[in-house]
Formats: sequence, C-alpha cells, structure tokens
Amino acid sequence: MRLIKFFYIFLIFVSFDVKANEVKNWLNKEIDTIISAYQNNNLSNENKFLMIEDTINNNFAGTGIAKFVAGKSWNGASKEVKLEYIKLFKRHLALNISSMMQGYSDQKYELTNSSYDEKNKVTLIDMEIFSDTGSIQVTWRVKKSKERLFVIDLLVADISLVVTKRSEFNSMLKNVDYNLGELNNKLRSQNDSSYQKIIN
Amino acid sequence: MNKLTQILIPIIILLFSFNVFAAASDDVKTSSADFETTAYEDEIYDPLEGINRAVFRFNNVADKVILEPVAKGYKKLPSPIQSGVGNFINNLKLPLAAFNQLLQGQGKNAVESSGRFLVNSTIGIFGLIDVADNFGLDQKQEDFGQTLATWGFGDGFYVVLPLFGPSNLRDTTGMVMTMMTDPINAYAVSQGEAWAIPFRTAANAIDQRSQIIDEVNALRDNSVDYYAAVRSSYYQNRKAAIMNTDDNVLTPLPLISIEFE
Repeated sequence: MRLIKFFYIFLIFVSFDVKANEVKNWLNKEIDTIISAYQNNNLSNENKFLMIEDTINNNFAGTGIAKFVAGKSWNGASKEVKLEYIKLFKRHLALNISSMMQGYSDQKYELTNSSYDEKNKVTLIDMEIFSDTGSIQVTWRVKKSKERLFVIDLLVADISLVVTKRSEFNSMLKNVDYNLGELNNKLRSQNDSSYQKIIN
Repeated sequence: MNKLTQILIPIIILLFSFNVFAAASDDVKTSSADFETTAYEDEIYDPLEGINRAVFRFNNVADKVILEPVAKGYKKLPSPIQSGVGNFINNLKLPLAAFNQLLQGQGKNAVESSGRFLVNSTIGIFGLIDVADNFGLDQKQEDFGQTLATWGFGDGFYVVLPLFGPSNLRDTTGMVMTMMTDPINAYAVSQGEAWAIPFRTAANAIDQRSQIIDEVNALRDNSVDYYAAVRSSYYQNRKAAIMNTDDNVLTPLPLISIEFE
C-alpha cells in the first residue's frame, strides 16, 4: 500500500516536471526568435518590430490580458469599441515587450527554474538575464489552452507587467467615467508615439 | 548632531502618529464586484495625487536632465569599476541591514549580513570586491520601512518625494530613521566629514539608476499614464521586499481567460 502511495506521488511529481520542461523548451524557442530578430542586421527596425510583434501575438494571451486590464470599463463598452480596444492593446503589449527586450538583446540569458502551479494550472519559468555588473530576474507565467501554450504575464524583478498595466489603465479610466472608447483614443496616440521611437 | 536629533525626533513622532491613522486607510479599496475578471484590487491609497503628480513631473525632468545622463556615463566605465563602486556602496548598507534583520527576528540573516560585512570589508578590500558571495553569504537588504511593515504598520498614503521618488508614509518614516541611525553616516559626522553623506546618497542613486536604464525607458516610453505605472511598480516591488520573496508567489495571479485567443 505504501509503495502504491509512493508511486502515485512520484507520478504526480514526474508529470509536473514534464509539463514544466515542455513549457521551458517552448519558451526558449520563442525568446530565441525574438532575440535573433534583434540581432539580424539585415532587417530594418520596422521589420524587426513587425516580426517580434507577430511572435508576441502568437504566444501571448493578448485578448484575455486586454480584458483583464480593462477592468470594469469592459462591461459598459460596445462590441465595436471592445474589438478596437483589443487590437490597440495587442499592439501596445507588443511595443512594451519589444521595447523592454531590446535592452536585453545583446545580453546572455538562462532559463533557470521552472515549476507548475497545479491549483491555477500555470507554469512559472524563471529567466536570469546577465550583464557585466549583475543580473536581472524575469518570470514568465504560462498557461495551456487547447494544446497551445500562452504567456499570461511577465514579471521583471517582482513587478508584473499585467498588474502594472491594469493599475495604469484604471488610473486613466477613472477620470473618464470608465469609458473604454476614451482609453482607445489615448492608446492609439501612445502606440503611434512608441512605434515611432522603436522604428527610428 | 544633537541639534539634528532634536529636530528629527519630533518629525518622526509626527509621522508615526499619522501612520497609525493611515493604517486604516489601507482598507480603502474597490469592491471585487466592480471587476468581474479578477480578485486582485488596486489597494494604493493616494489622496495627495495632485501634488504627487507635480513632484513626479519635477523628478522626471531632473532624472532626464541629470540622473539618466550621469548613469549612462557611469555605465560606460569598465565593468570592474562599476562592480567595485556597487559593491562598496552595498557593503556600507550591511550594518543597518543586519540591525533591521534582528529587529524583524531574522537571526540567521543578521548573522549572514554581519559575516558578509566582515569578510567584504577585510578580504574584499573595504567592500570593493564581493568575496562573501563565494562563501554563500547572500546579500539580503532590509530597511526600517520593511521592519515597520513587519511590525504591522500599514503603508499609509502614497507620496512622491522630491528627488527621492516614490514612497509612502511608512517608508518615508523608515528613510528618516535610516538617516538618523546609520552608523557609517554617524561616523562621517563625528569625523567632521559630513559632506560624505550627500556624496554617498548621490553615488547610490547613480549606481541604482544605471542598473535600470532600459527598464525605466521602456516604462516611460510606453505608458499611457507613467505616474500610475511607477506607483504600481513601487508597491509591487516593496511588497515583495517586505515579504522577502524572490519569486512571484506574492504578485496576484491575473485570472486571464484564453478561450478565445
């Protein structure tokens, strides 16, 4: 009986490890795609960004994150406003991540720890980015849905990108009576300005 | 020094009395029913937002004009020099870190920090080389703000300090306590070398800023509301520091739906 119990516990741990390793390999590949885009001198800045944006859109749960970040303004918005917001938010997310990754493109990184949070069905992957004077820790939160993996959050030095965005948007939305259309206008102009900075 | 103490003690008492009342303000939060997507709520209490935003704008200009260019210049120095300066500054923080660890009941960490200080100050040539790391004595920062939080003091309201940046009532109180009790600063004053204190503060600011040039620029260039983004980042970072967690257990997990990606 004791042996059977031990076997079950062993199986659970092994299956968690397999899940975490599967995500780790997948993430490694996607990060390499982004880094290689930055390091490709044959690509213009605009093409580099478009390639990175494509990778981010394919691998981040952009729509779900957009809905979470919009908070209570989501419910009162029309379908058209929501669709436009999702489109704008996905670009905003890509601009944020590519702008951050740009700084890391010439540094070495290593995926250090991986663990599986059974309760929330989320895999956590720690990444250490090394510079000459130290290192910075980034944690990826990854979730599986319909046999596909999606990044649902990115934490740099314990600061969550998604939680920060939600707080930031909420601060703006409370001044416009949680009107998602107003946020769209602001996002559009912010995206234009960020895009110009990243391609020039 | 006595005059300074006479001025600072009433200020601290005043800040503490505010803080006791402000702890209740931490309860001000939005209802979870307001957001259908998550249990995470924005708990930041910012009644001085108007003034804070004005100070934040001033700090942002000062950062762009002075701190960032200096930090970028510092970043161009050979990496052994940067590491040496960083190690030296961090080593000076260790006596007070060890004291705060003791106050928080972290005996093992206090012993490690003291050991770190001794090893780095001697074998590590006045702290320029981080030898202690090789002995498994990790750097663990603790300050009075964290100690007060461990003792149950609430955040109080959010405040942006001129030049010092984001803080809250509790952490500002902690900062004043650090200024008053830091043995290295006290020694400098007793030796008639008080000029070393602002010099040390500036060197620390430059060293810290040089380590987050890309992160700050990414946040500044891509935020719809940069002030709110910094405020949220500050709270998340402090929460993690107070709980002494290196992982993301503390940061609330967003309940994100991915069915319709």
